[in-house]
Amino acid sequence: MLASVERKVAIVLLLISILYLFLSFQLPAFPYAIVDADALPKGLGFLLAALSILLFILNPTEDRKKSDIKKDEVLMLLAVSGLIFVYILLFELLGFVIVTILFLLVTSRMLGYTKRKTLIAVSIGFTLVLYFSFNYLLQIYLPQGPLPF
Amino acid sequence: MDTISNMLYGFQVVLTFQNILFVFIGVLAGTLIGMLPGLGPISAIAIMIPLSYGMDPASALILMAGVYYGAVFGGSTSSILLNAPGISGTVATSFDGYPLAKQGKAGKALAIAAISSFAGGTVSVVALMLVAPLMASFAVSFGPTEYFALMLLGLTAIASLSEGSTVKALISATIGLIIATIGVDQQTGTQRFTFGNPNLLEGIDFLIIALGLFALAEVCSLILSRKSKMMDGNSNVGSLKITRQEAKEISGPIARHSVLGFILGVLPGAGATIASFMSYITEKKISKDPSSFGKGNIKGLAAPETSNNAATSGAFVPLLTLGIPGSGTTAVLLGALLVVGVQPGPLMLTDHPDVFWGVIASMYLGNLFLLVLNLPLIPFIARILYIPKALLISLVIIFCMIGVYGVSFSTFDLYLLLAFGVMGFIMRLLNFPAAPLILAFILGGMMEQSFRQALTISNGSYVTFFDSTVTVVLLILSLLSLTLPIIKSKLSKKTAEEEKEHLAS
Repeated sequence: MLASVERKVAIVLLLISILYLFLSFQLPAFPYAIVDADALPKGLGFLLAALSILLFILNPTEDRKKSDIKKDEVLMLLAVSGLIFVYILLFELLGFVIVTILFLLVTSRMLGYTKRKTLIAVSIGFTLVLYFSFNYLLQIYLPQGPLPF
Repeated sequence: MDTISNMLYGFQVVLTFQNILFVFIGVLAGTLIGMLPGLGPISAIAIMIPLSYGMDPASALILMAGVYYGAVFGGSTSSILLNAPGISGTVATSFDGYPLAKQGKAGKALAIAAISSFAGGTVSVVALMLVAPLMASFAVSFGPTEYFALMLLGLTAIASLSEGSTVKALISATIGLIIATIGVDQQTGTQRFTFGNPNLLEGIDFLIIALGLFALAEVCSLILSRKSKMMDGNSNVGSLKITRQEAKEISGPIARHSVLGFILGVLPGAGATIASFMSYITEKKISKDPSSFGKGNIKGLAAPETSNNAATSGAFVPLLTLGIPGSGTTAVLLGALLVVGVQPGPLMLTDHPDVFWGVIASMYLGNLFLLVLNLPLIPFIARILYIPKALLISLVIIFCMIGVYGVSFSTFDLYLLLAFGVMGFIMRLLNFPAAPLILAFILGGMMEQSFRQALTISNGSYVTFFDSTVTVVLLILSLLSLTLPIIKSKLSKKTAEEEKEHLAS
């Protein structure tokens, strides 16, 4: 009965709607509001629950393209997500220039780009052009890190 | 007469060195990004938003609009050359465009696409110029109930017209509305779903959601397809020449589909994709030789190309006059406008005439730039398709990161971006459309405000939603837009069963 992905998703969505409804009922009441801040969230919580049940019943599996992603591709997706996470973690600490050059070198290499010289030139050139355009032309200050500029 | 003087004012706004440059940058960037399979106008606009910070609103919208129709234009190039449409609005272009390229007539196909797009775009800009002020003057009388019903119609229309299951599209829209409830409630000051985190007090920025759900999710898809080459060695597009006979042949479809595309673009939920398919089907139906479609018929190329560009300008009508985006892309454009401090709607005509008329005037110039860019320069521009995917993926990730960081200067938002990227990819795998989510998120705050305003005025009586004829009509249309797909699918099932029975007997 739970075989299709749609039905599993429907159950997850139903659980989310229950959690959302629980949180909506915790919202404080405002004495003079004709329609209080909790009105819409409660309505949306019930709507999501109803739609989840409808998704479970209708089970529209026929429109889903079969996506067989290979295991190594899943690992690659996870690795890139991990690198983005590390990038964010180090973004303000090391500054935009250092962390972006490193990110471009590592990610592009990991994804299979082999031309070393081009990769180094693009990583450094692209990062510096972006950094100076944002900092000096657009006045959007990106983290400097330990660099003096 | 008024329209002419207003247009002259619009041209006055556009014809400054700075704004001409922005139109050019917009259409060029749009063409380049739109050409890359997968990176459609939504990603293109979202990526360009950081550049608009600090710009005056008219220049910002001129740039963004250029990116939008440039991306639709650019999408056709990859459809014709690679059979890999850059955006869904140019899928129908590949039906006859790619066979023409395979016959060694890529140059001719690109020239026809460029001319059709130019004609479709220009005709619909004229229509936009005439229709928009009328619509705005009608909408000035709208109260909260009319606005609420209108937004509801926009939402239900896009949900029911999305590809695949309507329930999934409605779930996407509901999740978009749920995300919109995060932050401080504007009317009572109550904190909703912030979990005490100060970063969530102002809610989640739309750019995070747009870039996460569209650009980062696309990055995931690009990672999976990175081993396939973007372009198969042959960059020779051949002659761009169109004969007099061919020009005569495509003039009919161009005239017909400029109008059809514009009308479909104005309707909420329809947009460039539906317009291009409708035009292709219509042209095939009325053709004397329908069997030649799909094999390189130039009419089958001209029709969707005219229509998708006409629809793009058409989509500006509800955006500029009502402040209601009719599609995911115009929802992102609305977000971009809000970033620079302009609230689109009927009052925009009086409050920001420079933005309103400036952007319409810029479209004439933009269409001209696109024609110039796409005819002689196409073999050179098409070289962007040679960028190795491994490199492109990393560069797009960095663009997304800077875009989000530039809004809030907070790394918390970057983590949110990553989370929305993962969510967008999962949604893609499970066939949950992302456009209803972003549209609902953008409309969520406004919808709630109108709903509560209406009920506050009526002292809590829901009868207020049935007092005005316009509201009632809009509510009925919303209901119809939800029920029509169900009726349609039941009818098609019945027909299929009848056909099966007929064949069996």
